[in-house]
Amino acid sequence: MAFLKLEGITKYFGQVTAVDHINLSVERGEFLTLLGPSGCGKTTLLRMVAGFEVPNAGTIWLDDDDITHRPASKRPMGMVFQSYALFPHMTAEQNIAFGMSIKRLPKDVMQQRCAELLKLVGLSDKGRSYPHQLSGGQQQRIALARALAVEPKVLLLDEPLSALDAKVRVTLRNEIRRIQQQLRMTAIYVTHDQEEALAISDRIAVIAKGKIEQLDYPEEIYSNPRTVFAATFVGTSNHLQGVVTFPAEGICQAEQYTLHIPPMPHLHTGDRVLVIVRPEGVTIQEANETIDSEANSATGNHITGVIELRTFLGPFTRFHVSIDEGKTFTADLPSQQARDYYVAQKVLLSFPPSACQVLPLDAREVEAEHLTEGEKV
Amino acid sequence: MTNRIVLALVILYLLLPLGATLVFGISNGNGIGFSSYQEIFSDHDFSATLLLSFELALASTVLAVVLITPTAYWVQLRLPQARPMMDFLALVPFAVPAIVMGFGLIEVYSGNNTLLSILSLGLVPLLSNPPFNVVNTPQLLVCAYVIVSLPFVYRPIDNSLRAINTKVLTEAAYSLGSGWWRTFLTVVLPNIWPGVISAALLTFSTAMGEFTLAELFGIYTFPIYLNVTGQNNAHKAASLTILSFLLTFLCVLGIIFLLRRRPGGAKQDERLDIVAIK
Repeated sequence: MAFLKLEGITKYFGQVTAVDHINLSVERGEFLTLLGPSGCGKTTLLRMVAGFEVPNAGTIWLDDDDITHRPASKRPMGMVFQSYALFPHMTAEQNIAFGMSIKRLPKDVMQQRCAELLKLVGLSDKGRSYPHQLSGGQQQRIALARALAVEPKVLLLDEPLSALDAKVRVTLRNEIRRIQQQLRMTAIYVTHDQEEALAISDRIAVIAKGKIEQLDYPEEIYSNPRTVFAATFVGTSNHLQGVVTFPAEGICQAEQYTLHIPPMPHLHTGDRVLVIVRPEGVTIQEANETIDSEANSATGNHITGVIELRTFLGPFTRFHVSIDEGKTFTADLPSQQARDYYVAQKVLLSFPPSACQVLPLDAREVEAEHLTEGEKV
Repeated sequence: MTNRIVLALVILYLLLPLGATLVFGISNGNGIGFSSYQEIFSDHDFSATLLLSFELALASTVLAVVLITPTAYWVQLRLPQARPMMDFLALVPFAVPAIVMGFGLIEVYSGNNTLLSILSLGLVPLLSNPPFNVVNTPQLLVCAYVIVSLPFVYRPIDNSLRAINTKVLTEAAYSLGSGWWRTFLTVVLPNIWPGVISAALLTFSTAMGEFTLAELFGIYTFPIYLNVTGQNNAHKAASLTILSFLLTFLCVLGIIFLLRRRPGGAKQDERLDIVAIK
């Protein structure tokens, strides 16, 4: 049995289903991230694991113990909050020692452990500082040390980096990962930041509307999304809705474009699909007569358009290319190669079939895709 | 310059009546003297009523703070939907004159109303008859003072609870193994201390100076003594007013002192004392 197992966990708030029959297993020492937009139920799920909310249905198992109805104070969990939640009237050391004092550990043991944890989070000199004398990043490090002080079986982190600025966020997320790996701590991390999730996790559970859309390794989530939501939420992507015309050959028709996609023998002619192309899979060339006439050759896909926006992002430059009335395609080029292209220039976008991820669409998803048309690329 | 003039005028406005009262108190027909103070200190009623008022005020303060602080915390944490009701209840004593409440209490605990007996689960008849008869006793007066001071207790404590992130701090303490009472006493209370002290000060002051209820209950407290004295000897009453003011002033100083020494004062050189948080 998995170290932490959630079976059919459901939570209602009035008429709203916040968490809908979620099954999830976390292995010992694993770093699992719950990723999703605001209101998707990820924090509620974490709070149920912590014991701050009681599920309406389902069971939570920890190390073969049913802890579903155990109060939060009796669960072997350490929690790190978005707002740090350090006790303002206590010094950093006293905050760290709080949990240990409840366990009635000897004073010398507490002091030694405080020193070790302060060293672990790189704040050995801040033990006697009060929370208001520390920066946001330092406060969150102390909060992490405080959660670790009680030697929890599972470390729960509820958007711990959301209140920090971008640079501190990257540094601290690496610190959290280093400490988790060093201590071989089982951790559940909640975030809405997909970049953070991809960078830090062993596995990611993409959550939408209270359900797990996909539970997989970060690489798989990015490269092979299984649902339209997972594909749209994680990473930037271009979407083209089409109809399969030759499934075995991998050809579909997306409005006026005939697209070459990987062969899809399991699909049927007439099936509606969503073709997803990541910006880094698209190349840009100057548009000219010769290439236009060869557009959509068997070796790849070519779409002409006009550059609308050019954004320098350091190592690469992002182009927003208008390909049709109201439709934009995004392409990333290494900044070295991007110098030749400018706004209002007519260009040819190319991407091979291998750059296309294809997801079958049902009627509901077709409608949803239409509704979110403007937000996709 | 204008600011200083305004400040001086405000101070003058506040201190002039006090100064006049002081002068009136120490003056008699023949000149200046402290005979009124000698009279006060030699009057047994002065010390007796002052002590009684002090005891009533202290009991009311302790009861109000002990009752309201955990309740406000509980409402904030578990019953946020009950907050409008609490806000309303905290305003009722402002809207209901003390005389109405006094008569109400006397009526409830003196009568023999079956409906009240049922609604109070037998508590009213128990407290209306010997040996637990509370009618016109200092105990009932203390309870009445607690109700009168409800707005002054609930507001500052509720504001302090809102100012700190009560829910998250509580959850953080829970996640570290702390139970409800320990969390309340060691995490929440030290952080709402200023609100609790303000509430205590306001309750104490209200109870010390309350006249109507004490008069209705027939309990001879310091404000009643002040009133009786004022009717017989105006100079002595003025001196009593000054003494009363000094007493209040000392209380305020004490509160300020307590606030400055509140737990968690951010003193950088404070030594780690883990035992202190056990």
